[in-house]
Amino acid sequence: MSAKIQRLAEIDRVIHEPGRLMIVALLAAVEEADFQYLRQTTGLTQGNLSTHLSKLEAAGYVSVEKTFRGKYPLTLCRLTERGKEALDGYRKVIKGAL
Amino acid sequence: MHEISSRLLEESPEKIAGRLMQKAHNQDGLPEMAIGVVFLVLAGLNWLPTAVKPGSVAHIVAICAQALLIPILVLRLPWAIKTARRKFLIEKAGYVESKPAHKKHLGIVIVIAVVVAVAGVFAAYRGSFPPTSWVLGATGIGGGVLAAIAGRLPRFVIGGVVMAVTGLALAVSGASLATGFAILYGLIGLLALLSGCVVFVLFMRTPAEGGE
Repeated sequence: MSAKIQRLAEIDRVIHEPGRLMIVALLAAVEEADFQYLRQTTGLTQGNLSTHLSKLEAAGYVSVEKTFRGKYPLTLCRLTERGKEALDGYRKVIKGAL
Repeated sequence: MHEISSRLLEESPEKIAGRLMQKAHNQDGLPEMAIGVVFLVLAGLNWLPTAVKPGSVAHIVAICAQALLIPILVLRLPWAIKTARRKFLIEKAGYVESKPAHKKHLGIVIVIAVVVAVAGVFAAYRGSFPPTSWVLGATGIGGGVLAAIAGRLPRFVIGGVVMAVTGLALAVSGASLATGFAILYGLIGLLALLSGCVVFVLFMRTPAEGGE
């Protein structure tokens, strides 16, 4: 097995899951987004999105803040510095391996 | 979702994110309605100077409006769309705060604007404007290609094709520049406004899902 392929073993499994990668990629492209926007954009179900966000939050990649805009409750999500580094690292590993 | 998952293995995350965001950006039809309004105003301002006496107050007002109103509209409409979404559509469309415009993109826009302005001044100085038919044809084709590339969705590609065909038809029709632009912009504006309204109505009919 070549060294390039072996690098795939270093892949970040939290970010590698397609649903979570989609969320992280979206959050990397914006300042912040709420739960509804993420659900509309990714097409994930409410339950799936909630689970993925919990895992990303537990890994320290995403910060989740519950707030209000007028009477409308907002669950605001932001990519943390650690999340940005994880996405960069993931991109490097994939590029290096393929 | 499965389609997107498989695409993630073939394309970069940024490209996927860009496409998803573009789709979300156009889901309520507001940007299309705004583009339609800008083009209809542009068409009116192109037609107005031909309909009034040259040198009259109305003529001067029309030319000044063309120079001032369009940049103001183009600059303020994104803000108006954002405000309308946050005030009235947040429950359906969700909330997103974009990153400030990339300096590289702004640089490209400024360079294109400067090149076009310099070319215009140079042509005016030498008195050698390209034939009207060329300008109309090139505007139609250029605008059509831009609309198709920037919009990415099928309805924008159709709009782009309509713009290109209209530009070419006006080029061979022998229409004057002002009349040609008024027809071209008017038709595109009307199409964009109608398609935006249809998308908006369909979007509003979709039941809103609850939050987390």
